[in-house]
Amino acid sequence: MAIGGTKFSPKKFSKNQLPIYLYMVPIAVFMGAPILYIVNNAFKPMDELYAFPPRFFVTNPSLVNFRNLFQTAAGSGIPISRYVFNSLIVTLLVVLLSVLISTMAGFALSKLKFPGKKAIFEVNNAALMFVTVAVTIPRYLTISSVGILDTYLAHILPLIAMPVSLFLIKQFIDQVPNSLLEAAQLEGANSFTVYRKVILPLIKPAVATGAILAFQQVWNNIETSNLFTSAEGMRTLAFYMNTLTGVGTVAGQGMAAAASLIMFVPNLILFIIMQSSVMNTMAYSGMK
Amino acid sequence: MSHKNTRAGAPKAKTFTKRRLREWGTGWLFVLPWVIGVSVFFLYAMAQSLSYALSDVRLTNGLTVTYQGFQNFITLFTSDTTFPLALSDFALGLLLQVPIIVAFSLIMALMLSSKIKCRAMFRVLFFLPVIIATGPVMDELTQQGVASVPMVNQAAIQGVLASLPNWLSEPILNLFSSLILILWNSGVQILIFIAGLQKVSPDMREAARIDGASGWEIFWKITIPTVKPMVLLNAVYTIIALSTGGQNAIIQLIYNSMFDSAVGRGYGYAAAMAWTYSLVVALALLLAWLILRDRNKKVVYEKRRVAMKGGYYHGDEKKQA
Repeated sequence: MAIGGTKFSPKKFSKNQLPIYLYMVPIAVFMGAPILYIVNNAFKPMDELYAFPPRFFVTNPSLVNFRNLFQTAAGSGIPISRYVFNSLIVTLLVVLLSVLISTMAGFALSKLKFPGKKAIFEVNNAALMFVTVAVTIPRYLTISSVGILDTYLAHILPLIAMPVSLFLIKQFIDQVPNSLLEAAQLEGANSFTVYRKVILPLIKPAVATGAILAFQQVWNNIETSNLFTSAEGMRTLAFYMNTLTGVGTVAGQGMAAAASLIMFVPNLILFIIMQSSVMNTMAYSGMK
Repeated sequence: MSHKNTRAGAPKAKTFTKRRLREWGTGWLFVLPWVIGVSVFFLYAMAQSLSYALSDVRLTNGLTVTYQGFQNFITLFTSDTTFPLALSDFALGLLLQVPIIVAFSLIMALMLSSKIKCRAMFRVLFFLPVIIATGPVMDELTQQGVASVPMVNQAAIQGVLASLPNWLSEPILNLFSSLILILWNSGVQILIFIAGLQKVSPDMREAARIDGASGWEIFWKITIPTVKPMVLLNAVYTIIALSTGGQNAIIQLIYNSMFDSAVGRGYGYAAAMAWTYSLVVALALLLAWLILRDRNKKVVYEKRRVAMKGGYYHGDEKKQA
């Protein structure tokens, strides 16, 4: 490190770290600011939302945005709980399945020997850089020809093979020393046991990261609702929030702020649950 | 004698192939779900979109596809007014942003790996943007202009930028206005670097330090070689994240021309755009790989070992003297 110098007696150590704080604290404030902003914005009444110059903190917090949001929601035939339920079930399944599939494939690609392995990883890399927008219509055709339009499967299936998360997870598994796996094999573990008992615990940070990425992708996804469903009752919360706030009214701005807070809270909860496993296992994993 | 040998050898070979077959089977079993998912929703769809890119596709009353060769691509580069410009803007932006994001996240990871108080809290804060950087929250933020650095509008910076040629000053201006966006985009990268930095052996650092190496030298000679594979991984991840993210202007352009029949030249044209774009992204990845790949893994390792040995030797000599 550039700081620190050549002497490092314990007494001077804390002093030497001071410059780091000098950089870190302001940047950390930057990083945390958007969350404060989202929360503040949701509780701003109309006049504060449109105030110029815009203010960061709310001065007179009010629930008017939320009231507007729920009133509009009550006006449309389908109860909001239906969308919440759809979103929850789709999100849960996509996150679980995509993590399962990526870790399994990552383990095989990294540690098992079989023909076609290299080709599969190359295909993944190709899929990685391909813009998904370009495949929306072929995807639609596939989904309609399989006959799963307007089902949960239409939300789930297109999203569970995530090239990014396979890529990340495979790179992580590459770092797991082979000697660990050999030791387990000598003890009589087969590949499935090795996967479950050795690989999964060791790559927890990658799993958590993959889960967060998958969650991001599915929870905020409005495309599957937009394209692969036509029945209102099969659509997700993200899509519904988008239609509510999409109307360019003055109240729409406030409702958008409230909606983005509502959509953001599950993100934050998941993150709080995941962060300890992301951060802690980083420090103590056998990856050296 | 030879008779015995073959008899002993034959079953051995048989079990060997059997085991190998079983291993192949297990391997395929593990990747099968993924292979199916990708073949159906990526490969097949990609092939189809390529065939659309070479055709004129109309969505009015059903789907009509007429093959027309490279016509879409020719139109794209000869008479389209927005796409080539957007593409070159994107490429320049990538060239500026990727090194910044990678360097920033390396610096952050180094700081987060040093022994400071509240390290856990800082790590959480820096990973936090990952959950913000996508979706409606980000849209909301960019809409409100929170993501730009206010000082860009100051006269001094404007003056400097005005002296630069336009093709260069434009991306730099964009860079400034999305600087905070860049910081928010570096969560996963910081995490990857932190994991990589754990591999830097403290013994080696200490040896170098005893040997009189400055922090700067330790950084370049020990830390950087160790995290080099992570630098490549991060560059790749950054390129992918930037080029497929929702804030991307080109993706918006493709999406609009796909569904807006008034603007667009049909879905085939949008597919041609998407393929051209993917090609540019692939080129960017190739460039990153060419620059950052590990050309002489063994040599670096050998050098480091020699350096370390030399270090200990040197230390002993000093003690004796």
